[in-house]
Amino acid sequence: MTVDERQLVTMLSDPSTQRKAFEQVVRQYSEQLYWQVRRIVLSHEDANDVMQNVMLKAWSSLDSFRQDSKLSTWLYRIAINESLDFVRRQKVVDMVSADDSVGIANTLMADRYFDGDETEAQLQEAIAQLPEVQRTVFNLRYYDEMKYSEMSKILNTSEGALKASYHIAVKKISEFFKQRD
Amino acid sequence: MMNEEKYLEERLSKKNPFQVPEGYFDSFTEQVMRQIPERQQGTRRMLLRPWMYAAACLVVIVFSVALYFSKIAPDTPELPQVAVTESYIDEAADYAMIDNTDIYACLAEN
Repeated sequence: MTVDERQLVTMLSDPSTQRKAFEQVVRQYSEQLYWQVRRIVLSHEDANDVMQNVMLKAWSSLDSFRQDSKLSTWLYRIAINESLDFVRRQKVVDMVSADDSVGIANTLMADRYFDGDETEAQLQEAIAQLPEVQRTVFNLRYYDEMKYSEMSKILNTSEGALKASYHIAVKKISEFFKQRD
Repeated sequence: MMNEEKYLEERLSKKNPFQVPEGYFDSFTEQVMRQIPERQQGTRRMLLRPWMYAAACLVVIVFSVALYFSKIAPDTPELPQVAVTESYIDEAADYAMIDNTDIYACLAEN
């Protein structure tokens, strides 16, 4: 059963119903947030860790939620920021690590929670090579077909800049595959 | 639609290739709520309003200053009194046209 977002916000601001309301928020939004996180961090184990952090962060910063923005917008923003923070930390670990890089596509093909073929694995590798903003915009537009107006509120970037990012991302990914054709 | 976008849509699928363990989302909420503290951390209940705290601080400061000055005040008046007494006697002696010999003689008689 989904609860209307405005009703949830009202319940979240009342200390007597806050915890119960937050439980409903987790129930209602966790799946859609998970897929945003997963497309950035790629592995299920990492996505699960990041999701725990996202929910804990949302709970501890409920006071900072300004009710002039949508609850879902606010949650998406936390999820994407936590995911990008995770990827940045992973990059530092990879640079320090002595192991040779296996490649993202090969790692995904060996992952039991990846059901795609080699082309789909290569697509994920191409996306992962994009700069952060292009990567995020590409995922939101290509997979979720999210409107630029909504994306603009989540990422706090102008619609024009987002459209430009998406076009550049699409161009880079198509060149990636054309070279392999 | 740009040519590259068309190329990608024909070349690739938009299918979600990622999977999750069976029942993951069903148990996720419970997993999260076990980590959430009973009361939201970071909120502190204030017993008094802010202006009351400011007023209380001001009272303490004023009281402390008053106490400090009341402790040093008693010593200072004594010195002026001794000085006034001696100069008063000299003035009186000059006025009465008597010198120290006369004063000593007067004191000895009494």
